[in-house]
Amino acid sequence: MAPLKKICALLLCALLVAGQPTAGMTAAASVTEPQVKAVFVFNFSHFVEWPADAFATPTAPFVIGVLSGEALATQLEVAIRGEHVAQHPLQVRRLSDIADVGDCHILYIDKSAGAQLASILAALNGRRTLTVSDLDGASQRGVMIQLATESNRIRLMINVESARDAGLTISSNLLRPAQIVRTSGGP
Amino acid sequence: MQATPIRRTLMQMISVCCATSLLITMLAFFAYELLTYRESSVQQLQALSGAIASNSTAALAFENSSDATTVLGALRAEPHITGAALYDAQGRLFAVYPSGLPHDRLPGTPGSDGYRFGHWRLAGFQPVMEGSRRLGTLYVESDLDAMLARLKLYVLTALTVAALSTLAAYLISRRLQQRLLQPILALTDTARAVSDRHDYSVRARHSRLLEFDVLTDAFNHMLTEIQESAGKLRSQLGRLSLLQHITRATSDRQDMRSIFQVVLGSLEDNLPVDFCCVLLNEPATRSVSVAQVGARSQGYAAELALAEGRDISDDDRDLSRCLAGELVHEPDVSGLDLPFARRFAAVGLLSLVAAPLIADNETTGVLICARRNANSFSSGECEFLKQLSEHVALSSHQASLYVALQRAYDDLRQSQMAMLQQERLRALGQMASGIAHDINNAISPVSLYTESLLEREPNLSERTRSYLVTIQQAIEDVARTVSRMREFYREREAQLTLEEVDVNRAIRQVLDLTRPRWSDQPQQRGIAIELHTELAADVPKIMAADNEIRDALTNLIFNAVDAMPEGGTLTLRSYTTDGPDGKSVVVEVGDTGVGMDEDTRRKCLEPFYTTKGERGTGLGLAMVYGMIQRHSAALDIESQPGRGTTMRITFIAAESTLAATARMARPLAAARPLRILLVDDDPMLIKSLQDTLQEDGHTIIPASGGAAGIDTFRAARQRGESFDIVITDLGMPYVDGRKVAAAIKAMAPTTPIILLTGWGQRLIAANDTPANIDRVLSKPPRLMELRTTLAELQP
Repeated sequence: MAPLKKICALLLCALLVAGQPTAGMTAAASVTEPQVKAVFVFNFSHFVEWPADAFATPTAPFVIGVLSGEALATQLEVAIRGEHVAQHPLQVRRLSDIADVGDCHILYIDKSAGAQLASILAALNGRRTLTVSDLDGASQRGVMIQLATESNRIRLMINVESARDAGLTISSNLLRPAQIVRTSGGP
Repeated sequence: MQATPIRRTLMQMISVCCATSLLITMLAFFAYELLTYRESSVQQLQALSGAIASNSTAALAFENSSDATTVLGALRAEPHITGAALYDAQGRLFAVYPSGLPHDRLPGTPGSDGYRFGHWRLAGFQPVMEGSRRLGTLYVESDLDAMLARLKLYVLTALTVAALSTLAAYLISRRLQQRLLQPILALTDTARAVSDRHDYSVRARHSRLLEFDVLTDAFNHMLTEIQESAGKLRSQLGRLSLLQHITRATSDRQDMRSIFQVVLGSLEDNLPVDFCCVLLNEPATRSVSVAQVGARSQGYAAELALAEGRDISDDDRDLSRCLAGELVHEPDVSGLDLPFARRFAAVGLLSLVAAPLIADNETTGVLICARRNANSFSSGECEFLKQLSEHVALSSHQASLYVALQRAYDDLRQSQMAMLQQERLRALGQMASGIAHDINNAISPVSLYTESLLEREPNLSERTRSYLVTIQQAIEDVARTVSRMREFYREREAQLTLEEVDVNRAIRQVLDLTRPRWSDQPQQRGIAIELHTELAADVPKIMAADNEIRDALTNLIFNAVDAMPEGGTLTLRSYTTDGPDGKSVVVEVGDTGVGMDEDTRRKCLEPFYTTKGERGTGLGLAMVYGMIQRHSAALDIESQPGRGTTMRITFIAAESTLAATARMARPLAAARPLRILLVDDDPMLIKSLQDTLQEDGHTIIPASGGAAGIDTFRAARQRGESFDIVITDLGMPYVDGRKVAAAIKAMAPTTPIILLTGWGQRLIAANDTPANIDRVLSKPPRLMELRTTLAELQP
């Protein structure tokens, strides 16, 4: 699986590099899939709107929880260093158990934790947490944003209903290039 | 410069105003549009790029360049966007629009934010923000075709609006103008109608505009006044032409009756009047009579008792004002209590005008005009009648003057005829005198020889002697007949009654009588004529006709005065001279006037010769000459042009006449043999005289003609010879007897001269012995008379 991932990452990178209007990205060779996904997750903090009650204070930290995604968490920590969402400083929290999800604003569920997805989602029910996963079909199952790799590119699949149920508003800018997905079947 | 109709001018003014305001409005609008459009273009581009930028955030954030390209593709909706590009946060080119746009058309790196106008384009950089995070930069570039298109649209719209508004302005102003112009044009049309047709009866219509109504009223009022005065003028003109017609018609006529007929006929036909007549006034006898009644007024005249020739002196009380020279106008006679007026009222002639005919400040008549209706004579007609009456008065006055003139002319013509007759008689007399001279010459030898034969031939038979006696008697009959014939020359005045006349007294009388001519009249003209008299105290009396002497002196004084138009000195002088025949009285009339040249002096005694133009008759000096001839006086004329003239008349004093008569009565004595020069142009006479006188023992030297006589005398004197006596004929060609006598007396003053003449009889009768002549003998000469004379004159 690793060689495949590696190949995919390289392809993605190549694609991204090819997609650039200018060929000025010298660091393109070093871009990895977790790196890209980390940037995506970080960017979601800007394109989704949380209700005010999601934060204890105006300066309370904006917490991004990463479930079973060590590489991504590491990259995310690099990406959020010194960043804020409004006045909220960003934090990355590595989670091993869903019970620790606590007050996470974004929860990244790695596909390695796909087996527990139903229980995770059940645990998050009623919380104001944006769920993100790279598990195939995650969005159909209730994950709010699914990062799907398609033709060497990361595509967003967004379950708007789930987000709405959680009281979150997703920017239309984010929705436009994304594929809107509905929850199919019961949890 | 041609005048522009007001309508066009007004239209032009409105169009110019309209166009100017439209132009200014449009220019302002364009300027505003240009400014605001730039701004709004920037704003639009800003808004558009803002939207694109906000849509590009996700694409930039998630580095989704295809999404970015899709977002930029939305610019397709805006065709003026010629290019766009997205740069990421690091300034790298991320996406371009349109997709095929070469990169060198775009800025390599993003510039500063904001928009600016460049080469026909508007371009700018817009930051792409997500919240406060800058994700990148959007570059948008737009051409200005929209602006140009819009400007074009504006220009098109403006032109359309201008055209439409001009049209609208034209239509509206046309409509509005109509209201303003209508009254003006109507007034203009009326004025044109008036000036073209001279129809003053048209009137301008009212409009509903106050000022124009005032103008129209004034114009109509003016027209009314013009119409009225034109009417007055026309009737005045009519009367004037009537007056002229009458004046011309009367000027052709010389008798009053036809003048009045023309006047009355014209008045009846043309004024017209119902009745008219002319009354004549004789101020001397205070009588007024009807001179003439108009042809159609005869009926009324009978009713009014104003038939022609009727004396109406009784009514002159009524006419007294008119006779005093005043025009009397009675507009209505029905209310007047005057007999004359009542007469007119009775026949229904209610208005009456009586115009006096005044000539030489005297009312010679009255022109009476009447009409049936009261108040029917206008003041213009009265004035006309007044002027007409003056013309009529003048014409009738002229007619009477013409009659007088005609009479004077006839008198003058008769006088002229009489004068011509006299002149003819005088010419006849002169001719008779010439014939008498010739006959006397012709019969002289017959007479001389007959007398000589009877005297010196004792042996004549009785028959011869009786024949010779008969011849002698016949010759004497002829001589008498000839002398009677000469009486023609004497005319009627020949029967003069001579009396002793004191010339000084005559001169004083004449000077007194003529004083106005030589003193008063020149003084009135500012000319001074000084009188100088030198009258000798002891002048003897002369035998003369007193009146003739005075007339002659009057004529000479008049001539002297006329010769001094600039003034001068009039000299009258009388003195006595001693001539060969005794004392003579000389009277001189002299002036310092213009004098006479040789030609004038020669002709001045001729009848009808005058230098005074129409003022002179040319008879003055001729009469003087006649008087001088009749008085056997002599006239001497001294004249120098520019210096003056002196007329000198020499009369024979009364006592010398008596002395001459006394001498004639002396007894005869035989003359010693004498040496005699005989001068005559008739060889027969020379021969007969020579024969008879040589028989008496005298020596006769004949000379044929005056010149030869003088030459012979001179030649003889040069040879030392002398003549005891000279006998010369008077009438000879070239050099006559007087000249011969003068020449001989000049050479030998003591040589007696006997003048033989065919006029001799008359000279003797008038005691007229010319100067230098010792004795005058008439032809045919009697031998006895000749012998006596020779005896008397022999030295």
